[in-house]
Amino acid sequence: MADANGRADRPAAIELDDITKAFPGVVALDGVSLTVRAGTVHALCGENGAGKSTLIKIATGVQHADSGHLRVDGVPVDRPTRRHLQDLGVRAIYQERQIAADLSVSENVLLDRLPTRFGCVDWRRARQLAAERLAALDIDVAVDAPVRSLSVAQLQMIEIARAISFDAKLVVMDEPTASLSRHEVEPLFAVVDRLRAAGVSVLFISHHLDEVFALADDVTVMRDGKVVANGPASAFDTTSVVQAMFGRSVDRERVERTSSTAAPSPRLRLSGVTTSRLVDVDLSVAAGEIVAVTGGIGAGVSELARVAAGGTRPVAGEVTVVDAKGVAQAIRSRRHALSLGVAFLPADRKRQGLLLDKAVADNIVLGQQADGRHPFFPPGRVRTSAASLVPRANVKTANIDVGVGTLSGGNQQKVMIGRWIGVDSTVLVFDEPTAGIDIASKFEIYAELRRLADAGAAILLCSTDFQEVGQAADRVVVMRSGQIVGEVEGRLATEHELLQLEMST
Amino acid sequence: MSTDQISDRMPEHLDLAPTGTPSSAASAPLSQRLMRSDAVRFALPLLIAIAAISLYTNGKNSNFLGGDNIKNILLQVSVLGIIAIGQTFLIAAGQLDLSVATLAALAGVIGATRVNDGGSELWAVVLVVLICAFVGLIWGLLVAGLRIPPFILTLGGTSLFASLALRIAKSSPVPARDRYEWLGRLDVLGLQTPIWFFLIVVAVAALVMRYSRFGRHVYATGSNEEAAYLAGIPTARTKVLCFVISSTLSGFAGLVAMARISTGDPRVGSQLALQAIAAVVLGGATLAGGRGSPLGTFVGVVLLAVVQSALTFNNVQTFWNEAVFGGVLIFAVVVTAVGDLRRRRTGARKTVAAGARRDTA
Repeated sequence: MADANGRADRPAAIELDDITKAFPGVVALDGVSLTVRAGTVHALCGENGAGKSTLIKIATGVQHADSGHLRVDGVPVDRPTRRHLQDLGVRAIYQERQIAADLSVSENVLLDRLPTRFGCVDWRRARQLAAERLAALDIDVAVDAPVRSLSVAQLQMIEIARAISFDAKLVVMDEPTASLSRHEVEPLFAVVDRLRAAGVSVLFISHHLDEVFALADDVTVMRDGKVVANGPASAFDTTSVVQAMFGRSVDRERVERTSSTAAPSPRLRLSGVTTSRLVDVDLSVAAGEIVAVTGGIGAGVSELARVAAGGTRPVAGEVTVVDAKGVAQAIRSRRHALSLGVAFLPADRKRQGLLLDKAVADNIVLGQQADGRHPFFPPGRVRTSAASLVPRANVKTANIDVGVGTLSGGNQQKVMIGRWIGVDSTVLVFDEPTAGIDIASKFEIYAELRRLADAGAAILLCSTDFQEVGQAADRVVVMRSGQIVGEVEGRLATEHELLQLEMST
Repeated sequence: MSTDQISDRMPEHLDLAPTGTPSSAASAPLSQRLMRSDAVRFALPLLIAIAAISLYTNGKNSNFLGGDNIKNILLQVSVLGIIAIGQTFLIAAGQLDLSVATLAALAGVIGATRVNDGGSELWAVVLVVLICAFVGLIWGLLVAGLRIPPFILTLGGTSLFASLALRIAKSSPVPARDRYEWLGRLDVLGLQTPIWFFLIVVAVAALVMRYSRFGRHVYATGSNEEAAYLAGIPTARTKVLCFVISSTLSGFAGLVAMARISTGDPRVGSQLALQAIAAVVLGGATLAGGRGSPLGTFVGVVLLAVVQSALTFNNVQTFWNEAVFGGVLIFAVVVTAVGDLRRRRTGARKTVAAGARRDTA
């Protein structure tokens, strides 16, 4: 859809001019300029830490630039507050869902613009307005549906309906597809097309280049807080965007195992595991093997990871860890699993993995602090342990006292890996290990997984990214609705093959 | 601090060499770590405030910094201090207990009635401490097991214990006659026993929080409970233990309060719970959890006591006490918030300057 010809002469909807922004320890934006033309879809690409999120936060008034100018419709905005920009028609849909789960769908669509009558909320009109907005975007959600029962994709649609419900000029989306399964992406694309047809500009961040080329009229690529490439989408291809993102071309090959020493006996075994979201799952992972579990959202992939790590107890069946001597023990709790050498890297690093207000050192020794019996763990040991784990996990950080929240997603994930290297884990369970991580860091993570497997670890990789499982795993198990529906060798796990397995009945 | 963590991120990927850049494992310079440590950030301003108030008041009445008044201040504050140390464990773990004040009153009443019936003092102390530990165990199990918000739960407990204390005391203070001298009035090496108990509790708590695995678990649980749980930290057990520690210390503090005045007063110290929380927050904790230290709490408690004593010395009428107490608390949290904000901003400015230097170099 890169028919830029008809849109090349459109006026600018928003212009960011020479924007600079710094945080403690990091210059996030260094003289960045960006123009989004009216009625076009503009993709913003770049690896994590390139400054994309900061740029759109400034464009939407969430953060303020240290220097630089912001123009909407050619008019300079002196006071770029969130509220003021909203009034000018700049709307945003962030990665984290901004939904009030206890309110109704109509309230969530209208939020702070509920219609009133004689000073009271006019509920009938609110429902009607919300229904109109949803219908205008062809969004199939009942206005009376309880918000708690909706899927992630439906919540996002509600947010989009809210964003455009007050005559939007520009809709900014931060990785809109990050939490969607592939079936849910299509309706989103349709909505974006409708917005463009209605003359609304869309600025979106994506790590998926296929989406960029499917949707965007214009592409801007950032690296290290600067714009490194900018132009109509037709002037780019995947290779040139990737090259611009990293400053050189990136090998997108599989990470193959270097040795074939996989022991025939399993290290981690799930037998008949059943929970509210899983049905009778049997699975085993041997030492030196990377087994991926994949499927769409709702397949139970994430649930499986949590159960395998002992974070949730199955209603029926059991998860067993077999040690090197062949002694099998059923996992009783997350803590028990840890004592048996099972590491867990949750999908949501910020909420489930890291102590965000603490330093790298405090986070990387957390595994050692949780494990073991010795009653003392003095600060000196925190420092020496952290100093040895940081290089072993390849974490790039100025020093071990840096707040872990300031690291890039890839480095945060490596802190998580370092945490488990520190306790000599024999089984590692990864849930979406590269969610929100840029392509270059993804490969570092895959290489790290392979390194751990070659060192004798059994790795269970739970991921809804079909490309990822094909690149990193030895075996790929496909799930649907909490059940295993197929298995394929890693080498043969193309996206096409996996999709067929997932769809077949 | 540098931008290296971003610009160096381009990996030598697919290279399976297991070693990273050794420079990345360095520590921040000691001076920087000190400036950022909670002790310096929170305790130092309080110490300055304590010094300023003391010197000012001492200028008007030189008895203020006399040994007797300093001992008096510490004695006045010992009961509150012991309770506040217990609360420090809870707040660092992201929890809270409002019922500590009436639990302390209940403990004092039970302690006084037991010896009136002719029982031994030691036996009564053991009994009361066990009862209070059990109360903490119940709180902890309800909070950790049923995920009940501790605020509401312990608010209920506050009323429960208040009534219970009044019932046992038959609504009037219970005299303990001349018993419990060792617990509340004995002079040991120039200091009365309540002061010793307070100092010992502070020292042990500080060591536990800093050096023990349990202490680290407390901070991790308060910082991000879900992450701590998934990392394998026994978050439920940690929370239960914090409630047990807090309730036990509160019960003991109640006994000390009773022993000091030789009376088990069922209405004693209704303000203690809120004052304890205030002292903990003054000492650098946040109610969100993950921060706070016994030494900070100690300084916070002393500040409250010094302010109180200074008001008396300066002949300020007593109805201002509450207002000053509230004012100190509000001032402290505002100053801390402003300090955090400014640190974030100057950090960013330094980064820009460093980046500019690099560019021109």
